[in-house]
Amino acid sequence: MKSTMGRKGHRGAASAVLLVGGGAIAAAIWINGDHGVAVAVAVSYVILAALATIWSRGSGDLSAVLRAGGDERQRGLDRDSTAMMGIAMVLVAIIGGVVKTALDGDPGEYGIMCLVGGLAYGVSFAAFRRR
Amino acid sequence: MKNRVRELRAKRHWSQQELASALDVSRQTINSIENGRYLPSLPLAFAIAHCFNSTVEDVFTTDEEEK
Repeated sequence: MKSTMGRKGHRGAASAVLLVGGGAIAAAIWINGDHGVAVAVAVSYVILAALATIWSRGSGDLSAVLRAGGDERQRGLDRDSTAMMGIAMVLVAIIGGVVKTALDGDPGEYGIMCLVGGLAYGVSFAAFRRR
Repeated sequence: MKNRVRELRAKRHWSQQELASALDVSRQTINSIENGRYLPSLPLAFAIAHCFNSTVEDVFTTDEEEK
């Protein structure tokens, strides 16, 4: 019987996400031809990643979430916040899809977001209900 | 749900950080449990009770039991 799992987490977790995501965005801007902006975006993400690494060393709730670790309460905070983020994104996708369909007769990228969101929910629900 | 974590911890002159370290949770989590803002999982409730050489029902009580 264990109350916590992987409480320490990885100090570089959030930084890695920022570096990979920021690097991808900077690369896309570079390919698009705006080299100055691409360098500025890359530098911004490197600074953010460094700040995240420093912040993740703390003992607070946010530090634990940045480490992708924490105890059961902190993991619950992260899970609940992620669920709220999902609800917000789904609302934007649905409203955006309705508005875009009314304007263009096609939900466009909002439709893809709704489809992916719905599929992700269905698969997650099927997997988690086995608990 | 009510609990006697603060009372039992104070009896032993433990800080929130000391209890948190013993249970491998954060100090904020101990604070939230003591203030009734967070209900621990069953494994953590057992671990807390074990720390105080007590039983879960001695540390945690329902509102109905209080009456």
